[in-house]
Amino acid sequence: MSSTRPEAGGAAPVSVEEARGLLDAELAAAAGRGGLLPGDVHELKVRWLGKKQGVVTTLLARLKEVPKEEKAAFGAGVNALKQEVEARLDVLEAEASARAAALAEAAKAVDVTLPPRVPPVGRLHPLTVVRRRIEHVFRGLGYEVADGPEIETDWYNFESLNFAPDHPARDSVDTFFIEGGGTGRDALLLRTHTSPVQMRTMEGRRPPIRVLCPGRVYRKDDIDPRHSPVFHQMEGLVVDEGITFAHLRGTLSAFAKSFFGGRAEVRLAPTFFPFVEPGVDCAVSCVFCETGCRICSYSGWIEIMGAGMVHPNVLANAGIDPERYTGFAFGMGIDRIAMLLHGIPALRLLFENDVRFLDRTWS
Amino acid sequence: MKFRLEWLGQYLPGDLPDLATLRRRLTDVGFIVEGTEGEGKDAVLEVELTANRPDGMNHRGLAREAACALGRPFRDVPVPAPAEGAAAVSSLATVTIAAPELCSRYSARVVEGIRVREASARVQVRLRALGMNPISAPVDATNHVLWDLGQPLHAFDLETLAKGPDGLPAIVVRLARAGETLVTLDGVERTLTPEDLVIADAERPVALAGVMGGLETAITPSTTRVLLESAHFNATAVRKTARRHGMHTDASHRFERGTDPETTVEALDRVTELLLADCGGTVARGVIDALGTPRPRQTVTLRHARLVSFLGMEVPLPRCAEILSSLAFGVREAAPGVLEVSVPTWRVDVEQECDLIEEVIRVVGYSSLPETLPHAYNPTWSEPTLAREERARDLFAAAGFAEACTYSFVSAEENSPFASCVDGTPPVVSNALGEPFTTMRSTPVVGLLRAARHNVRRGLGDLALFEVGRSYALVEGRPVESRRAAILLRGRRGVHWAAEARPADFYDGSGAVAALFAGFGAPAPAFRPAALPFLAPGRSAEVVADGKVAGWVGVLAGPLGATWDLGEAVVADVELAAIPVPSPPSSVEMPSRFPGSGVDLTVTHPIALSWDTLVAAVRTGAPAELLSVEAKYLWRGAGVPEGHVKTTLTVAFGSAERSLERDEINRWRDEAARRLLAVPGAAVDGIS
Ligand SMILES: [Zn+2]
Repeated sequence: MSSTRPEAGGAAPVSVEEARGLLDAELAAAAGRGGLLPGDVHELKVRWLGKKQGVVTTLLARLKEVPKEEKAAFGAGVNALKQEVEARLDVLEAEASARAAALAEAAKAVDVTLPPRVPPVGRLHPLTVVRRRIEHVFRGLGYEVADGPEIETDWYNFESLNFAPDHPARDSVDTFFIEGGGTGRDALLLRTHTSPVQMRTMEGRRPPIRVLCPGRVYRKDDIDPRHSPVFHQMEGLVVDEGITFAHLRGTLSAFAKSFFGGRAEVRLAPTFFPFVEPGVDCAVSCVFCETGCRICSYSGWIEIMGAGMVHPNVLANAGIDPERYTGFAFGMGIDRIAMLLHGIPALRLLFENDVRFLDRTWS
Repeated sequence: MKFRLEWLGQYLPGDLPDLATLRRRLTDVGFIVEGTEGEGKDAVLEVELTANRPDGMNHRGLAREAACALGRPFRDVPVPAPAEGAAAVSSLATVTIAAPELCSRYSARVVEGIRVREASARVQVRLRALGMNPISAPVDATNHVLWDLGQPLHAFDLETLAKGPDGLPAIVVRLARAGETLVTLDGVERTLTPEDLVIADAERPVALAGVMGGLETAITPSTTRVLLESAHFNATAVRKTARRHGMHTDASHRFERGTDPETTVEALDRVTELLLADCGGTVARGVIDALGTPRPRQTVTLRHARLVSFLGMEVPLPRCAEILSSLAFGVREAAPGVLEVSVPTWRVDVEQECDLIEEVIRVVGYSSLPETLPHAYNPTWSEPTLAREERARDLFAAAGFAEACTYSFVSAEENSPFASCVDGTPPVVSNALGEPFTTMRSTPVVGLLRAARHNVRRGLGDLALFEVGRSYALVEGRPVESRRAAILLRGRRGVHWAAEARPADFYDGSGAVAALFAGFGAPAPAFRPAALPFLAPGRSAEVVADGKVAGWVGVLAGPLGATWDLGEAVVADVELAAIPVPSPPSSVEMPSRFPGSGVDLTVTHPIALSWDTLVAAVRTGAPAELLSVEAKYLWRGAGVPEGHVKTTLTVAFGSAERSLERDEINRWRDEAARRLLAVPGAAVDGIS
């Protein structure tokens, strides 16, 4: 801190001019010693304006020694000096307090490059994110989202869906059965697809029906990069008067364009599922390449779902007149689409829950 | 499945089809050509066939599809009956079908005086092209016919068949008897069950019908007399037998899916022709053609108007008839716009009108279907349980938890400590892949423990995981699935260099549960001390909402924490349906513009005296102006008697209508203090 005290032995000024000269010298000296702080300015104020020993007060006390004819001028001079001192010190005081505030702030400064205090950031699982994206597209097309049990009966999972009693998929080789369930159509099993929700929906409601059913499904597959005994499907079902095969194609095309981008095309190929006729495999033109890539196996097409026109036996099993109503259904693997979209190398990553995987952003 | 272009060409008069065009067109009509090898007549196509089209699993059948897809004629290759010898087959062997429901036809021929040699070069080339190694002319001839016509055949060494009472080698198609055994061609001895359909001689089974022949009656290099079998077996019977014995053969693959009973004799003639050419010999006169219960022939009506309205596009009636005819359907216009269609015996997949519509459109091409959308439609309904699940996911993600996705089944051992989480018993998978996939979880927490262990073992110890999923139970044999929100917290919370992090504790768990309730706008749940076998005693609670248990929260019991390599972990599980979600408000009051005022009260009390008791004492008889009671500070140790705790409560008062007077606040505070003092064991600072 700078000192503003006068030099020891310095004589008090005897004239206004002398005082003004001293003031100039002291303020210049203070300025030369660096920035004044509020305490320094306070000391200057006491020294110059103090009621008892202040330089101005002391100078004014000389008035009685001044010849009578000079008294008026002397008094006016001292007054002018006082105002000048006050004004100059006020300026210094304002500067000093600004300087003090700045120093106080500087003392609080931090290293802004140190790691921040991040509030915990949660994440949705990629399967949730991808499922919601799919649902979003179909909600826009007027679909409702339905739900059903995972522990199903043989009737809902197979028989009502037109699986012949001896269809290979009904074998325990592919299907998990639950101990203590009934037998035949009452046998309890873990649903192998979300299609049972089709039947439950059709039983519970009359057409028009336009539903989407996401959910867990189970197949007796050993775990490898592409297989898991638990995975997720998204089923769609539309039943109404006048639903056509062309509507199915149009719907899948609308989905593909909305989900994969406007230039995506769909290709349907005949295939077989017991609960639809005709049954189709739906492939979408590869949106990851122009001329073929690993994702599309250099074919330009990626198979994304199975679909078809609801089999009349299935409609009849649900008590819906297949002469009056027609419908279509489609089903896709959410896990598979998530893997496709994000280049996830192995299915097990989706179920292992490694937080380095879960902490990524998926959309 | 492999197909040789030259072989297909045998049924397609004219030049061999262009390979690329054939590949594309076959794929278009549902026979996906996955690849091709070679060129010209030696080209081989790798085709994926769906299970419902066994008729395409041979060269003649696929050639028929190819002809239709390419718009070319199909030409069958007639097989002349072989020149027969004098001996009547009926004097050489007998065939009896004792299980007529499972075998609709059993045709057989006998060839005598053969010498087993190699098959002809043409047969060998063809079989090699399909990836098979030639074995001997009789075996290769049967394989050749299987791949040519789709009819599986079997050749017995007639000398090895036991004779019946009439002195003739006997073939009996029957069910096996319990305890009978058969050594099949692969050298494995099979113990048969009464569900197994077998070919037997007069004494014992000599073949698993439709699956594999027996070793003892097989053709050997010294065989001279052969009985050739060409039969039609029930698909289910063959499939079940094959599965039961863990077998899969080219024959069973076709019988399981359905063969053509009308082709048995034709196939027999063709294999005989090949056998005679390569091995010589004399064919006995006639064919043994035993019949079981025949399969009815199908006739299906196709209405053109229905086809058009079903497809949403026009296909002219003559075009429909042309397509069906080219696939060998019999077509007759029974009425204007109505076709009476008889189904070829090999088409086991066609039963209904929609099957015929598929035949038409797959040949016309799915790419010619217009892309139209159903009429606009307003959803009228939504599934509330799903909406609740989605909201819970968003709430936990917003609260800093990462969403996990774990298997629904766990090991019996992993689940057993948690079995009391559900009423009833955990469903058990009867044919599981083994542990840890046998038991449907009683709480998603079991899956979270597995997820946590995975991370901890990789050095990722600070965890905040949640899963919104189901728990499963069987109650009186009926499955019950409950939708749950589960969390797991472990390791340090609030890790930052500026302050020491603290470990996750009970209150992080109960706080997450409270946040879930708050997120739904539900009243705060109560936490009631509870003894749960999987939670640490004294740090476990039931979550109570509306007077009912909605879930639980606590620190994982020490032994479980050790078993899972987790140490201390906080877990919770809430049934989503039990959260009392209020209806959204239809009107909202203006918040008070008068600031409330808080006063502190410090109570020293036994540790066993719960916070809930203190709050109840403050609230009972308090004025309507009481806004809240918060815990400000708890202190145990210096200055507080052993077994006691000093709790500072902040009691807030406020009014929507006015500013409160200091006097009345002090009066209310003193009243609250006196009520606290009345609680046995409680002392209030500054009051006596
Ligand atoms: Zn690509």
